[in-house]
Amino acid sequence: MQASRARLFKEFKEVQRERSADPDIQLVCDDSNIFKWTALIKGPSETPYEGGVFQLAFAVPEQYPLQPPQVRFLTKIFHPNVHFKTGEICLDILKNAWSPAWTLQSVCRAIIALMAHPEPDSPLNCDSGNLLRSGDVRGYQSMARMYTRLAAMPKKG
Amino acid sequence: MDFDDDYYSGGEEEDQMLYTDDDTDAEDFDFIDNASDSSELALSNRHHVRNYTVLSESDIRQRQEDDITKISTVLSISKVAASILLRHYNWNVGKIHDEWFADEEKVRSTVGLLENPVMEYKDASEATCGICFDTYPSGEMLDAGCGHPFCSSCWAGYVSIAINDGPGCLLLRCPDPSCCAAVGQDMINLLASGEEKEKYCGYFTRSYIEDNRKTKWCPAPGCDYAVDFCGGRGGGGGYDVTCHCSCSFCWNCTEEAHRPVDCDTVAKWILKNCAESENMNWILANSKPCPKCKRPIEKNQGCMHMTCTPPCKYEFCWLCLGPWTDHGQTTGGFYACNRYEEAKADKEFQEAEQQREIIKNSLERYYHYYERWATNQSSRQKALADLQQMQTVHLEKLSDLQCQPESQLKFITEAWLQIVECRRVLKWTYAYGYYLPEEEKAKREFFEYLQGEAEAALERLHQCAEKELEVYLNVKDPETDFNCFRTKLSGLTSVTKTFFENLVKALENGLSDVNAHAASN
Ligand SMILES: [Zn+2]
Ligand SMILES: [Zn+2]
Ligand SMILES: [Zn+2]
Ligand SMILES: [Zn+2]
Ligand SMILES: [Zn+2]
Ligand SMILES: [Zn+2]
Repeated sequence: MQASRARLFKEFKEVQRERSADPDIQLVCDDSNIFKWTALIKGPSETPYEGGVFQLAFAVPEQYPLQPPQVRFLTKIFHPNVHFKTGEICLDILKNAWSPAWTLQSVCRAIIALMAHPEPDSPLNCDSGNLLRSGDVRGYQSMARMYTRLAAMPKKG
Repeated sequence: MDFDDDYYSGGEEEDQMLYTDDDTDAEDFDFIDNASDSSELALSNRHHVRNYTVLSESDIRQRQEDDITKISTVLSISKVAASILLRHYNWNVGKIHDEWFADEEKVRSTVGLLENPVMEYKDASEATCGICFDTYPSGEMLDAGCGHPFCSSCWAGYVSIAINDGPGCLLLRCPDPSCCAAVGQDMINLLASGEEKEKYCGYFTRSYIEDNRKTKWCPAPGCDYAVDFCGGRGGGGGYDVTCHCSCSFCWNCTEEAHRPVDCDTVAKWILKNCAESENMNWILANSKPCPKCKRPIEKNQGCMHMTCTPPCKYEFCWLCLGPWTDHGQTTGGFYACNRYEEAKADKEFQEAEQQREIIKNSLERYYHYYERWATNQSSRQKALADLQQMQTVHLEKLSDLQCQPESQLKFITEAWLQIVECRRVLKWTYAYGYYLPEEEKAKREFFEYLQGEAEAALERLHQCAEKELEVYLNVKDPETDFNCFRTKLSGLTSVTKTFFENLVKALENGLSDVNAHAASN
């Protein structure tokens, strides 16, 4: 508990100091609970998520960083490895391939990479996974783009 | 017929082992197994026939140690590195040799045995731990040989989580996600708690058995022995092995020993016995479907007035399946249903009735075999208990009563061992018989002939060992005819053994001698 708090505090200070280091990621710690974080990540360019801003919620376990944080999308996203209803993410580094050397920042980077490179063979969103597996890239892209526009873009006017 | 000459030419040490050693049971059973081995008869030296080895935990440790020493010597690497290699290669020493000398570089990188660190921190006075991000004097940091420094408390946490996560800890790597360096037993010893070390060692020992294609754990509950099987199916030995805990099992399918019946038949039979599928058939055979909701209704009373279970609650007549409300005056009264005759004329109903008969008959056939299979099973259990009783209590008593040294009473133990083994074989021949196609008339006849002869001999032997022996246990004076009894029991044992050998041989040959048998009749 103490170790995880100390480690999270280090990450917190690092985030404060390097605020502009990664313009695509904005990590924020909950005011009252250092084990709760949120992040805003920019959809990677040349993907259907481009132009969208997606919110992630982190729940950090007491054994962190020996155990991975739990992360889910708060913003609706159409992606083969994200559960459409719950925002749960299927990503190996958040499960058995976790390394305690990862940080919340590196988890965000890994999620951005996953947005750009979906893994249709381990789908949490079957519709999306099936579209990709059947080779209907355009179908997948248009659905993903539609949801990006609906859920992840600031409403104009 | 002298037993000792027949069976104990193997040597003195066997005789001594029979009654004094802890391994008594195992040795005895495996003796019987091999003695009934038709091809070699195993008379001169049964240990030459045995194609498996029972391993205790210390045997396993010793073998691991031997393999580790071998690999570390031949490859000139540390013992820790050798055990990492062996784990990765599922204890396949030959494969490690081949691949290492073909491409050492490649093996090293897949397994995570780095020759040089990928980075250096020891020269600097301080280093930052890659997990807690705190800074420590370099001397206090540890790495897995790769040079990625972590503090000892983070290491301990990392190792602890891995060990408590299961046997995957045997393949633990450096915490740095880009690094493949393996974490060896030296690190574990340094970092893990006593309890965790014990767990790790347990996984390590288990890996030798579970990752190795030649070894399996004994399936008996609570037994810690393993069996190393080195023979193929050939030689008529089959897969039956006997553990030191006295459990005999098939090494191939790990069901109880079932020679001469093959694994497929056993699997089919066990599935068949599985209560659920059988109960379904039983219900089918003993019930009729409710005419309204079609769920099976079991008739367990004499009365023909049936009421289906809720929520249906339909009331109908068992005989004609018509609604009970029609069974008033018009039908001649409730309990003298005259519609049965009418309905019998109804073709559809007749067919359903016929179908039920067929199922019933097939069940009766199954029950015939099942009953005999199960009876031999329980008879074997009883014989095992009797054998136990004989060895612990009765032999001593008998020795006093009859003024015979216990070594002269071996023929009794031999008889019981033969009974136990024959009950096992006989039991499985009933599973065999069930699956022997009805249309293969000649084979069936031959099989039933051999089985009948064997069974009759066994019953005589069992009766003699059980009933006649009792007489000698309850007398005061040494009986003069005890020697006659000895001759009789030894003779029956030998005769029974021969019958069962023939039966086993015939079944293992797929009853191919059937024509010779037919010709001689
Ligand atoms: Zn540390
Ligand atoms: Zn490393
Ligand atoms: Zn055992
Ligand atoms: Zn088997
Ligand atoms: Zn009903
Ligand atoms: Zn009726």
